[in-house]
Amino acid sequence: MSRTDLRQLWTMTASDLRQRIRDRSVIIFALVVPLALMFVFNLALSGMEDVTLDTIDVAVAMPDGDQLAATLVDAALNSDAVEVNQTTAPADEVRELVRSGEVAMGIVVPEDFSEAVTSGRETVVDVVEGDQAGLESSVVVAVLQAVLDRFAAGTVAAAAGAQLGLPPEQLAVLAEEAATAGPQITLTEGETSNEQLSSSANLVAGQAGLFLLFTVGFGVLGLLAEREQGTLGRLRSMPMRPGLIVAAKGLVSYILGVVATSVLLVVGSLFFDVSFGSPLAVVALVLCVVAAGVSLMFIIAKVARTAEQANISQSIFAMVLGMSAGAFFPITASGALGQLMDLNPIAAFMRGLGITSGGGGIGDIGTPVLIMLGFAAVAAAVSRIVPDRGAGR
Amino acid sequence: MDDLVRRYGDLTAVDGVSFRIAPGETYGLLGPNGAGKTTIISMVAGLIPADEGTITVLGQPVGPTRIAVKRHIGLVPQELAIYPELSGRENLTFFGRLQGLHSKDLAHRVDEVLDLIGLTDRAKDATKEYSGGMKRRLNIGIGLLHRPTLLILDEPTVGVDPQSRNAILESVEALSVEGMAVLYTTHYMEEAERLCDRIAIIDAGKFQAEGTRAELIQLTGEVDHISLSGSGAIPAAAEAIRALPAVQQVDADRHTLVLTVRDAPTAVAAIVTAASTAGMTLSDLEISRPDLESVFLQLTGKALRD
Repeated sequence: MSRTDLRQLWTMTASDLRQRIRDRSVIIFALVVPLALMFVFNLALSGMEDVTLDTIDVAVAMPDGDQLAATLVDAALNSDAVEVNQTTAPADEVRELVRSGEVAMGIVVPEDFSEAVTSGRETVVDVVEGDQAGLESSVVVAVLQAVLDRFAAGTVAAAAGAQLGLPPEQLAVLAEEAATAGPQITLTEGETSNEQLSSSANLVAGQAGLFLLFTVGFGVLGLLAEREQGTLGRLRSMPMRPGLIVAAKGLVSYILGVVATSVLLVVGSLFFDVSFGSPLAVVALVLCVVAAGVSLMFIIAKVARTAEQANISQSIFAMVLGMSAGAFFPITASGALGQLMDLNPIAAFMRGLGITSGGGGIGDIGTPVLIMLGFAAVAAAVSRIVPDRGAGR
Repeated sequence: MDDLVRRYGDLTAVDGVSFRIAPGETYGLLGPNGAGKTTIISMVAGLIPADEGTITVLGQPVGPTRIAVKRHIGLVPQELAIYPELSGRENLTFFGRLQGLHSKDLAHRVDEVLDLIGLTDRAKDATKEYSGGMKRRLNIGIGLLHRPTLLILDEPTVGVDPQSRNAILESVEALSVEGMAVLYTTHYMEEAERLCDRIAIIDAGKFQAEGTRAELIQLTGEVDHISLSGSGAIPAAAEAIRALPAVQQVDADRHTLVLTVRDAPTAVAAIVTAASTAGMTLSDLEISRPDLESVFLQLTGKALRD
């Protein structure tokens, strides 16, 4: 590229940037709207996080001397999740206490509970919820269900032992051990294996990624607006290589994308007390995701016939890619859909930020970087192949 | 431009068109909308390639990838190809830089052009605040900023008020005086008659005729007419006028003489003098001349604004 080429490239880029800043739409779309959404969603999320659970009154009926029943009730009512005022009463009275509103919920463990569990026979623990039941009773029920599931595992272990020919005394011991033992598998979180962003960090990263796809449109999609207003024809009549016009638009998109995404991450970090970790790694992620976004815009610029069509296509792509990446709330998918969603450059960007916020450095973000650069390369290749549908206008 | 052909699918938009423009000459392409004028201009400006034929400016071939020759060409497109967020001065400076003008020369030339198009006082205002006529003038100013050898104007007065239109036409007249070759397309017959040294009448992508205004009118075989009304010695006046060399035929009744003449504007003074000298008191005089509209009608079988 000669000095004249560079001079003309910068002349077009600088002029375009000046116009974008003057018409203020890029500032509104790239910075004001995403920051406003961050604040709104953060308020909503912080409201959810501040939920406090009240003490709940629970009446319990269970057989005397039944060890498994006692374990079940103890686990359900003495968990750290919710504080419980426990009242012990006969089964009929438990239901009456719930009906009268004296307690919020009742638990009735049947007389033959231990025997039924160890022998693999079906048994039912009754849970009665009254009008006062709320989130607290749901928590108790969830814990109760988890303990019952573990007891069911014990029953399965006993059945397996019977098939192996163990004597009845050993089967009972085996079933009880399986039902009451703690978990044998534990998860240790390594620093770089943690790809989960906190809710605030997810919000900042998601909004930055989503609105990046709007921001980069201000450069490349300007080609269609210039075609409609006639300035593209005049530019093409200038003594310069035709490719410089497209290159300048791409450069404008890239500069706007990098600046806007960086500002959103920095401002979001400051306002929401979020750290994305290694600045070098974060910069690398930003450069890669902007490259992917700009390449996508080149496809839209070729496929759309008018600026209006391009803007609609851009919005659809931004919302689909942004939302499927979890810009507003986490989304998970398995199978082919999950693999497809893994190729989403915004998702890769957020995953990369998850790695860096967990302490990962530039050497740990290889996969998301490859996904974003791969997306950029494929999109750029496709944009060169697809016919320019607006060229005849 | 020799034997230019441009096709869009099955449609042949320009079909075997050839013409030459000399320095200081204004060459007009006159035809209705859709005749192929803008396609010809797009090829001459190097925006699109010709499917067949050649275009040269100063001996250099023109095409989308021929960069150097574009420095000699200025384009004023039909659309207002200016940036609304930039001021008039910024628009001129931007396109001047792309044309390769350097700082000092550029600033001086921008001032000159602003003065030429009458926008010096509004140079710092964003062009989105300009009137339609001011935008049109700036559109032309950008085209001639780099002093091109060939200036191409594609219907530059479309949608312009009469006052701005007159200012634009005066600017174009001044360009040919400076020695610039001008290619001017229009579907306004009056503009072509006023500005163009030679005119090509184009319809359906083909040149129907080419020449000076007089040459084109000669093709129709029509002549000028002067009608004189008045009182006094009508028969004597008729005899005196009949003797003038420019007069081909005189038809007289009690109050009116209808004359068939060659080049009425030149002959009218002698005719009036002859009538007065013979004793006719004139109360009315009317000149009717065949125009390019009638030439177009005769050549294509349809009116220019169809």
